Amino acid sequence: MKNIILSTQKLCKTFSNGGLQQHVLENLDIEIYDGDFTVIMGASGAGKSTLLYALSGMDKPTLGSILFDGKDITSFSNDRLAVFRRQNCGFVFQQMFLIDNMSVMDNILAAGLLVSGDRKAITVRAKELLLKVGLEENIWGKFPSQLSGGETQRAAIVRALINRPKVVFADEPTGALNSAAGKAALDVLTEVNGEGQSVVMVTHDLKSARRGNRILYIRDGVINGACDLSTYVSGDRERHEKLRSFLVEMGW
Amino acid sequence: MLAFANVRKEKGHTVSLFLMFLVAALVLNAGLLVLLNFGSYFETMAKELNASDTYLLLPTKLYNEDVKQLIAENSVVRRTQVENCVGGNVKIPYNGDQRDTSMLFSNADGKRDLSRWKFVGKHLAPEGDMPAYVPYVLNIDGGYRLNDRLTVTFSDKTEITFTIKGFTDDTFFSSFDTGYLNVYLPQRTLEAVRQKLGSSEDRTLIFANVTKQENNLTSSIKEMLQNKHLISATDADNAISSIGLPLIRMSRTLMAGVMASMMVAFAAIIVIVCLAVIRFRVATSIDDDMLKIGSLKAVGYTSRQIMASIVLQFTSVAVLGSIVGILLSYLTTPALSDVFAHQSGLLWEQGFDPVVSGITLCSILAIVLLVSVLSARRIRRLNPIVALRGGIVTHSFKKNHLPLQKSKGRLSFLLGMKSMLQNKKVSVMVAVILVFISFASAFSVVLFYNSTVDTSKFAQVPGIEQSDAEAYFNPGSDNAKVVDSIKKMAGVRKVLYNDRLTGSVQNMAIYLYSMDDYSRKETNTVYDGRYPRHDNEVAMSGVVAKSINKKIGDTVTLKIGPRQADFLITGFTQGITMGGSTGFLTHEGMLRLNPDFQQQALEIYLNDKSQSASFVKTLEREYGKSFLIVMDVDKAFAQSMGAYTSVISEVGAVIFFVTILVVVLVLYFVVNSSITRQKRTLGIQKAIGYTTFQLMNQVSVSFLVPVAVGVLLGCVLGITQTNNVMSVGESAMYIAKADYIITPGWIALCGVAILALSYVISLLVTYRIRKISAYALISE
Repeated sequence: MKNIILSTQKLCKTFSNGGLQQHVLENLDIEIYDGDFTVIMGASGAGKSTLLYALSGMDKPTLGSILFDGKDITSFSNDRLAVFRRQNCGFVFQQMFLIDNMSVMDNILAAGLLVSGDRKAITVRAKELLLKVGLEENIWGKFPSQLSGGETQRAAIVRALINRPKVVFADEPTGALNSAAGKAALDVLTEVNGEGQSVVMVTHDLKSARRGNRILYIRDGVINGACDLSTYVSGDRERHEKLRSFLVEMGW
Repeated sequence: MLAFANVRKEKGHTVSLFLMFLVAALVLNAGLLVLLNFGSYFETMAKELNASDTYLLLPTKLYNEDVKQLIAENSVVRRTQVENCVGGNVKIPYNGDQRDTSMLFSNADGKRDLSRWKFVGKHLAPEGDMPAYVPYVLNIDGGYRLNDRLTVTFSDKTEITFTIKGFTDDTFFSSFDTGYLNVYLPQRTLEAVRQKLGSSEDRTLIFANVTKQENNLTSSIKEMLQNKHLISATDADNAISSIGLPLIRMSRTLMAGVMASMMVAFAAIIVIVCLAVIRFRVATSIDDDMLKIGSLKAVGYTSRQIMASIVLQFTSVAVLGSIVGILLSYLTTPALSDVFAHQSGLLWEQGFDPVVSGITLCSILAIVLLVSVLSARRIRRLNPIVALRGGIVTHSFKKNHLPLQKSKGRLSFLLGMKSMLQNKKVSVMVAVILVFISFASAFSVVLFYNSTVDTSKFAQVPGIEQSDAEAYFNPGSDNAKVVDSIKKMAGVRKVLYNDRLTGSVQNMAIYLYSMDDYSRKETNTVYDGRYPRHDNEVAMSGVVAKSINKKIGDTVTLKIGPRQADFLITGFTQGITMGGSTGFLTHEGMLRLNPDFQQQALEIYLNDKSQSASFVKTLEREYGKSFLIVMDVDKAFAQSMGAYTSVISEVGAVIFFVTILVVVLVLYFVVNSSITRQKRTLGIQKAIGYTTFQLMNQVSVSFLVPVAVGVLLGCVLGITQTNNVMSVGESAMYIAKADYIITPGWIALCGVAILALSYVISLLVTYRIRKISAYALISE
């Protein structure tokens, strides 16, 4: 029996635009399990990213509750949410969002030193992670503008992992990368998930989705269906077919 | 269209820039109006009243045929007008106290061609009991109104009460600072005054037009009267007075001129700050609109058109702010006029002056145009493709300052420092702005301290000895015995003789002071060298020495009456007294020029300054018969300098508060721009778990160091350079080396206050980070 690390109850998110109300999430109930690589899929505008940012405490829902490790984070103040995010969440964005006037190492330490006061220990961990994702020492002092897209995304993944978050949230992490760089980034996420790290990823890319062991399909702000791939071995053809037929069923 | 779209988009910045230009134009235009028009207002009035070039006032009993002949035969004199009047030293009730002054009572019904007088405001017919028309200064500064009663107490204790029927202005006798106040009385009132006073106070007033301004005529008359033994040298100085129009003009307009110079200098500082802000804003505007610039260039807009839109954006704000500031400055002129009128007695009325306003507007517009064009030149070098890529070539971070793995300190502080070092241009700009602003604040603190808290150095500006009481012996009194008795009086700390006689040097009149021992003098007017110690030494005014090309160590020939002697110059002195024409001799030195010289003027110093009023009463009661005049110096000084100190303290306070306003506006502008530029970075930081307060601190800290450096340099400049600036500002007052009290503690406190204020403002401005969610920051 898997532990639920994150769940929502009747989650709603409405945006107002010039007096028009757009209901992006409507009474959405989901559960995310500890250690899973959960993939959220759906068409453009279905509310995937909105759901991801609500789940991670980056944005507040309009109604409903989000329970993270049993605590309702929707009642948190903005500052408490910030502290919650630094302690529990790691983020990987499509646009990477490294801070462009900081070196790679500083980008990672700027997140790591928020949680740990032990500069030496956090630096050692940053170096280990950087080496693990294939970023050698000659990269560490460079600025984001001096890196390739793949290198930047791997650095972003290290930043997401530096504080040993309970969940890594990834929003289209391969969206801005070429296929090789995208694969490398997904390999890193798959590897850390293999080590027990929970990952929640939004994507509309089939290849990326195949990395997950649980697929949630969202349409018009509600979960339309779920597909459990955990029983299949990664790379197995049956796993691919199962996912494909699920998506066809969902109208993808 | 593009320009106005930007103005609308950046409302907050536009408003703060508008306000800065408003303040700059307001202060500059008001300063220029005073600087250029206050003096010319005096000139216009002098012309309107056909002011003579000089006047000579002497007791009627001395105005004999010889004097008439001397004046008639003097080659310098072109035209004269003689009238009889009554005059003397008097006391009048003034602002709840008694004020010592000198008054002339002239016939209001008499005809004057030279040096006429006029009414200021409404006046009443000369009816009722002892009607009188009095100088306007009694209204604006003394608080007298029409039909008020004015009781004048003469030196022989005779009291005459007049009814004020109007207020007047004339060129020579309308300010306490120019010697006499002239009261104009109907013939019958004047006769009543003469009857009460007898002939002892009869004066002859001679207005003269001369071919060149010099005091030689007065010196010649005094010399002739002394030669004929009609008067002693000391009495001649007390009895005969003469002041030329230039000295009157200086006296009545100097304070306004000095204050106006300060206002213009301060406005220049604000304009410099505005220009620095514009330069910064143009640069950030180009960075922010890089994509837009790329798109415009791509569709065919020329660099010139895009630059024009940016230039138009800033010049339109500058012009609008300046126009409103200029218009508002006209609302301040009545208040300024009121402030200056207390000292000058001049009712300055300023209408709209298109020339001065045009100068203000055009000068601001010209430099804003220049700076914005120079700052926007970068657009010419921008390739459309580079611009469409977000100007990526311009973002090269060559050095990773303060790497986090090696640097020690709190995270927010380190990140703030990194940001500061990466934005060197902005940091330098903030530091430079704060240097100017802090210097202005330190300057205002010095002005305020010296004019309000400790006025002792300010008191030295006139160059008058700061004793507590002065007394002039009657000729023939037993001076030595009285001086011995005074020395023994309770509360007396010191008694010194400090006499003055009129002499000349190279045919220029010079007022020669004599003292037994200058080391006991308490008001130091020597700014270079020393006071004389021997009978062949003189310390003389630097202004006079310069005009006759003499240096310290040179010999100069001084003359009193028929006698002359050579003296070695030992020092240069400064001070506004007597138009800066002063010299200081030892008592023995004075005897070389006038063997019959008798010391008659006493300076009395008390242990407790606050006791001067009661001491003077005791002195008058016990030794009144021995003295011609007894004066409460502390009170007289407070009354005469009160107008100056209040103006200076008000100007100091205004500079300080405007400075604070400018600090607020500049920091709002810069910090707000910085947040806008760093929005993405701040969003990322929020996303990864930074709290709002951490980010507020981080941004504020990034400005704190340049602010601290600027404040430190500004305060150091304030401490070391304020006296130099004041020396330049007061050079027209014959001050070569200002020596105001500089209180590093106060200035440091002011610096700390600016620093704290800057930090608080930064925190307040950065508070808006709170309102934006991490998601919104990223999604934008």
